Amino acid sequence: MLEIKNLHAIVEEEGTEILKGVNLTVNKGEVHAIMGPNGSGKSTLSKVVAGHPAYEVTEGEVLFEGEDILELDPDERAHLGIFLAFQYPVEVPGVSNKRLLRESYNTVAEKRGREELDPLQFEDYVRERLELVEMDPKLLERSVNAGFSGGEKKRNEIFQMAVLDPKLSFLDETDSGLDIDALKIVANGINHIADDDNGVVLVTHYQRILDYIEPDIVHVMINGQIVKSGDKDLAIKLEEEGYDWLQPKAQVNGELK
Amino acid sequence: MSRVAKQEITFLKDLLTYQSNLNGRSTILDNLRRESVEKVQSTAFPTPRDEDWRFTNLKPLLRGDTFVPVQNVTAVSDLSGIDQYYLPEAQNSRLVFINGEYSEEHSSVGKMPEGVVIGNLADAAADEDSVLSEHLNKYAEYEDDIFTYFNGAFVNDGSFIYVPEDVTVKAPIHLLNIYTDADDSYFVTPRTLVVGDKNSDMTIIEDHIGLADNRYFTLPVIELKLFEGSTIKHVRIQRDSLNAFHFSRPAAHVAKNADYESYTITLGARLSRNDPKIVATDEEVNFTVDGLVLIDGDQIADTHSIMDHKFPHAESHQLHKCVINGEAHSIFNGKIYVRPHAQKIDSFQENRNLLLTREGQVNTKPQLEIFADDVLCSHGATIGQLEEDEVFYMNSRGLSEQKARELLTYGFALETIENIEVESVHKLLLKEVERYTTPKKEAEVVA
Repeated sequence: MLEIKNLHAIVEEEGTEILKGVNLTVNKGEVHAIMGPNGSGKSTLSKVVAGHPAYEVTEGEVLFEGEDILELDPDERAHLGIFLAFQYPVEVPGVSNKRLLRESYNTVAEKRGREELDPLQFEDYVRERLELVEMDPKLLERSVNAGFSGGEKKRNEIFQMAVLDPKLSFLDETDSGLDIDALKIVANGINHIADDDNGVVLVTHYQRILDYIEPDIVHVMINGQIVKSGDKDLAIKLEEEGYDWLQPKAQVNGELK
Repeated sequence: MSRVAKQEITFLKDLLTYQSNLNGRSTILDNLRRESVEKVQSTAFPTPRDEDWRFTNLKPLLRGDTFVPVQNVTAVSDLSGIDQYYLPEAQNSRLVFINGEYSEEHSSVGKMPEGVVIGNLADAAADEDSVLSEHLNKYAEYEDDIFTYFNGAFVNDGSFIYVPEDVTVKAPIHLLNIYTDADDSYFVTPRTLVVGDKNSDMTIIEDHIGLADNRYFTLPVIELKLFEGSTIKHVRIQRDSLNAFHFSRPAAHVAKNADYESYTITLGARLSRNDPKIVATDEEVNFTVDGLVLIDGDQIADTHSIMDHKFPHAESHQLHKCVINGEAHSIFNGKIYVRPHAQKIDSFQENRNLLLTREGQVNTKPQLEIFADDVLCSHGATIGQLEEDEVFYMNSRGLSEQKARELLTYGFALETIENIEVESVHKLLLKEVERYTTPKKEAEVVA
């Protein structure tokens, strides 16, 4: 479903290269976890796939269902069924959660050839999806993420994912800032949404969330590249031993050799 | 002599030769006119050298035809459709003014609690109303402001509202000012006096609507006196013609335990200037002076507010938000005075500007003058564009860039109107915000 080949990307403003040749294939029905130390490029990879304008791809390809998506705008990628759960969800005062979701759902539905829902149908649909993340229906009427706690924001991201029903989701550090109860609820929601027809990529620092969501493949990203892939035992090893054993050994004048 | 100075003189001469025609109906108004004429004669027209007019380009006002008294022009608008502007909540509490002139035909005041007065100011003056004569022209304290004096020199019809002690007027009182198309550029001087006696409660919706896109000049002066424990909610909607000039002076004196809340929505006019002045005349006063400005094209909207705390223990609040599109220009100057001995003041002021284009312009100047030492005063001003991350967030949810920008702008604007409780007004303003944030269809642009 998703094929990333030799992807290089820079921060547009400063020209710093963050992704230095990433290769990744995600098939339908798979759950992937990408782990790695701070600054390794995990979050950047999620944003580049979603089309964040702050990054420029300098080399490589991102194919979604065989189609090169790098020339598409972020909304066009969303229409294809790509979703990004933000590490830091944005607050939008004055626009209710429900309004954003309905605009969003109907736009995506139209592009994906699904039936649009009128406000009443949408209400029913949304209530049912709310239960997946055990979210208070009152949050629907509130402005998007405005005044939400860190946990509520993360839960709201997964709720949006549940409503939009994407084909491929990148969840960028969705587990950070969640207490153990909230983590279980969020993980449970993700497990419900993940099925044979979609793909999920969890980007995370900690092995903790993988106690609740079992990944098919675990990748380690260091310095803008995926340096190792394996099964869930890799995550356990990382938890125990850290990333040092995967770091390149020698440095000459600060350059990795 | 500069061209501007010449025009200024013509402007004044026309005004003064005409105004004596108004005299003879009531001594209250005759006196006010006479005093005001003298002040007009001894007051200079503002120039960019005056600090309060530095950023406000008055050229559009001074260029073009001279303004003539509205009584001398032929109005050409069809009034049959104006009932669309009536508020359902105010079916029996509405005063209508057509080009400043009171329209009995369109006004409607039903049965009110005993002692309540909602009527034409000129009629009350002719009847030598004692409340009117006691309060008229006592609160519009705008020193050396020629526009306030213009209003006084031409004072005639207007709104006079009095709510007696312990009385609540539940229905909002709608002051509907309609400006019609005309053959000439005209000027209008609406006058409003609102007196809320002890523990009274009322809501005023002051509405200015231009029916066409003609050039006119309206100079409303609104005086409000709030006695102890009274509450006035004052919503001001300015939807004048895009070629109009609107200079308003709403002034409130707020007594002990009284609460004045005002919300000014600025949508219309080529050039508007709004100078709210709220004076706390005793302790334990609350007031709000919020504003929303949505401008586009070559519009200029200027707000110069004064919040004057003369006594201790007051709470005041000002959130002034502006969205600037096209080549529009927004100006804000918010003065907060805290006089010596006015301790325990809690005052908040924020001016936030959202610039949608490179060509738009903003000047903002919060100005605090605090002479007491035990006060909590915060102020801030921001000028910004929509954040890239905000737009990306909405984009990633499938919304187009255009739609994302519309929704974010809508959200930005909304905060200032959500406290307006009159349902039809709230809905009307939501629609106005929506209309502003949604780009015009091509057909409309061509038209």
